[in-house]
Amino acid sequence: MTTGLIIAFAAKAFFVVMFGMNLGVILTWLDRRQGAVIADRVGPNRAVVWLPRSIARGMAMGPAALIAVGVIVYFLQVEATGLERTTRALLFSQLAIGATWITALSIAGRVRIRGVRTDAGGLVLNLDRLFAWIGDPRVFVYAGLGAHLVTFLAAAALKGMPIGANLREIAYGASPAIFVCSILAGAVYSVMCMTHERVGLRLMGLLHPAADGVKTIFKEDFIPPNGDRLMHSLAPFISFFPALVVLACVPFGDTLCFGTNDGKIDFTNLATMVPREGMCVDGAMPLQVLDLNVGILFFFALAGTGIVGAALAGWASDNKFSLLGGLRAASQMVSYEVTLGLTLIGAIMIYGTLRIDEMVRWQAEHTWGIFVQPFAFFLFFAAAVAETKRIPFDIPEGESEVVAGYFTEYSGMKFAMFFFSEYIAIVSSSALMAALFLGGWHLPFVERDGLFIAIGDTVLLRQPLTHLSVVIVGVIGFIGKVALLCWLQTTIRWTLPRFRYDQLMRLGWRKLLPASLVNILLTGLVVLLVQSASPTVQAGLRTAGDLTELTVAALGLLAVVSLARYWLQPVKKRRAIVTSAQKFAARLGGTKSARMGA
Amino acid sequence: MEPLDRDLDDSELELAAEPMLLNVGPSHPAMHGTVRIVMELSGESIDRCDVQVGYLHRGFEKMCERGTWTQVYPYVDRCNYVSPMLNNVGFSLACEKALGIEVPERCQWYRMILGELARMSDHLTCDGAMAMELGAFTPFLWLVKAREMIWDVFEEECGARLTHSFGRVGGMAAPPTQGFKSDVAAVVPQVLSMVDEVQRLLYGNRIFLDRVENVGIISPEDAISLGWTGPALRAAGVPYDVRKASPYLKYGEVEFDVPVGEKSDCLDRFVVRIEEMKQSARIIEQCLDRMADSGPINVQDPRIVLPPKEEVYSTIEGTIQHFKIVMEGVKIPAGETYSYTEGGNGELGFYLVSDGSGTPYRVRIRPPCFYITGGLERVIAGQMMADVVPCFGSLNMIGGECDR
Repeated sequence: MTTGLIIAFAAKAFFVVMFGMNLGVILTWLDRRQGAVIADRVGPNRAVVWLPRSIARGMAMGPAALIAVGVIVYFLQVEATGLERTTRALLFSQLAIGATWITALSIAGRVRIRGVRTDAGGLVLNLDRLFAWIGDPRVFVYAGLGAHLVTFLAAAALKGMPIGANLREIAYGASPAIFVCSILAGAVYSVMCMTHERVGLRLMGLLHPAADGVKTIFKEDFIPPNGDRLMHSLAPFISFFPALVVLACVPFGDTLCFGTNDGKIDFTNLATMVPREGMCVDGAMPLQVLDLNVGILFFFALAGTGIVGAALAGWASDNKFSLLGGLRAASQMVSYEVTLGLTLIGAIMIYGTLRIDEMVRWQAEHTWGIFVQPFAFFLFFAAAVAETKRIPFDIPEGESEVVAGYFTEYSGMKFAMFFFSEYIAIVSSSALMAALFLGGWHLPFVERDGLFIAIGDTVLLRQPLTHLSVVIVGVIGFIGKVALLCWLQTTIRWTLPRFRYDQLMRLGWRKLLPASLVNILLTGLVVLLVQSASPTVQAGLRTAGDLTELTVAALGLLAVVSLARYWLQPVKKRRAIVTSAQKFAARLGGTKSARMGA
Repeated sequence: MEPLDRDLDDSELELAAEPMLLNVGPSHPAMHGTVRIVMELSGESIDRCDVQVGYLHRGFEKMCERGTWTQVYPYVDRCNYVSPMLNNVGFSLACEKALGIEVPERCQWYRMILGELARMSDHLTCDGAMAMELGAFTPFLWLVKAREMIWDVFEEECGARLTHSFGRVGGMAAPPTQGFKSDVAAVVPQVLSMVDEVQRLLYGNRIFLDRVENVGIISPEDAISLGWTGPALRAAGVPYDVRKASPYLKYGEVEFDVPVGEKSDCLDRFVVRIEEMKQSARIIEQCLDRMADSGPINVQDPRIVLPPKEEVYSTIEGTIQHFKIVMEGVKIPAGETYSYTEGGNGELGFYLVSDGSGTPYRVRIRPPCFYITGGLERVIAGQMMADVVPCFGSLNMIGGECDR
């Protein structure tokens, strides 16, 4: 069992590190891409790995074929009965719908961007013509989401009826087939599109930041001649390490229950339904690296260490700009650390625990933290942005004042580590905010035993799901929330100017700090009031909590639909005038922008 | 018993605090690459500072003396590289004043439109760069996108986007293209709509206002005594605009207002530039209405203007005329001339001395930036270090023009 624990621990640590670093890379890309989007340029999308056609085809076909074979074998070998059968039918019908519309959407998007491929004959040409005839790719999103919803509601409505059982049998048989077919169809289409000798692997341009990162390893590592060699080399590590390690105390999902009392691992538990209340005592695996009972304090202790790195870098660089930057960084981060901690006191008072997973459970049971502590959320958000030293709080590295601040004298991988720790700090602070205020892994109406839509005592819908699927949905939801918060921070960075040093301090000490103290006071009053309230009021509060879940669910759905609507709407780019040079370029075949026309 | 704090009055307990001497620039992101400021900092605030210019000195004025008058155009282009067309027009007017000629009416309207477009591109760059240096990247990218559109017009007219060298003594290098009017009419509203977007993004932004309001104030008297002109002076409340005070080209015949500031802070300088762009759009609109669609662009004087190429290749007169102008240059009568126009940053003056030959004896450029940068020290002394950024940005120092 000890070996198992160590393996599980290592796997979780690996996952968390990969999560932080990969999201950091994606954020780097996003940050630069955002600039490109505003300026209407192509952006950092150019890194490419050229693959021979056969390998590229294999890479497209291989995973799809593997998944297909896996699904078929799974269905043929593992027979399911009862609840398991229903869940599997439901899950796979949703998966089949998802795979179908996503495949159709990607093909339609490709056809819209690249046009009908007349050079590819036969099937591809006809398929392209079909998609070009359909036109707007957004119909696939709408149809897909609609199908998801209809299937889901039908399953809930027809539960227990004979027709429901029949439909379940049909879905049980047909959905894996549809799933496999759509995955294979997408793979075959992309294989048939690979008509050239070599195929570029671009991953939507995400290779670019990765290539940049690798590049820095080979750059000269400059240390100022009069600088402190040891401290200069130590600083980036002190900055980088805590940013990554704080993620260890954030739970990514609900505790996985498998194993039995006698210490044996029994994976079949995952495929069953667990009771809604209570915790599994034995064989539980929390989805966080460090299961600490001081969780949140650990976060602050380590996040505070990051200051030392920045200050040290400023001191050790033997540069006045670095010194100024280091001073600014130290004072800013210390000041905002206070607000960061004090805003959370209110939340801790309400949740009544320091463990982050307990906090998430409280939110799952009652309502998300943002609804009980809205004020604290915004204060915490502002302070967290200040902690990550990004615009509008980027005075320690404000490039137009102190060149690059405390890392002016850094180059190569050491510079990249500062750079990277900033992005990972965004990820970790977003993860913490998601866990503390946005319900962590909890999604509206998803309980431990499945989907349970109820307002107060009125149960609208009930759909039992297996333990594993609930946990996986939770993890995906958590990652989505983190991504949302990261995106929010990136947008802020591209919109606002930066503060001046004294304005920043004034904001921190005179506005945010008193506000967080007031928040503690108000929270105390509210907690006392609620505790002494009559049962009717408390029941009303519970209903209100359910209503907030409903609101979140509706808003989430709306957000997905409007994202699809605005992101995928056909872009009509028009140039004010088309110059002769552009016309000439367009006549010769031209560039993308030259073809735009006026 | 002696009080414990007996030593507090002595200076022994005080920490030795001496100001930090900081060299900012010339290689510093906020110094536009060409200026060095030696600052005495106590903490973050500037006790004293010394602004040193000249790092981009390339000897333009001396270089002007080795070619013909027409060969000066590339140099004036590179003086103010964000609004080269205004410099082209200014130098043309100076030469024409020395020659005592006036270009045809159509050319005057044409020069006004091009000049006002250049003024817009100058202000777009300045305001955008100022916002970017404060950390607001989006306005910069939007304004630069707007500037690209203006450059598209220039590219269409003269083939070059940045350094046009489009002016000539006695006219322009080429007549307006067929689509000139419609191009300009299409571009200007789009530029204004982008300016409007930037306004909406910044004017209500508390952080931006905090950074620029009441920062970098200079009194109108100081500004005048320093020789400030242009938007920086107008922001101080002095409504001096060469286009109004001593109209050249057709500026006397068009309607436009001179926006002035009240507080003379960085925000006023920012806003004055934004408002001037709108006035420029107004001028352009009137010019487009009144510019004839056909007619001569250049003066009809074979001693000044190059003949058409087909004449050069087919007639002996044409060949000789071409040869004389290219090899000896346009002969400007001996004497001295001072001509001044409203450049992007203020009064742009050309003081020409001619000895009667085809080569300038002396070309002295009065760059508006040089005098404005002279006041930078007064503007930033006593401010915080971060305030240098909006102050310097709003003065719009153009290295090429300042150092020549």
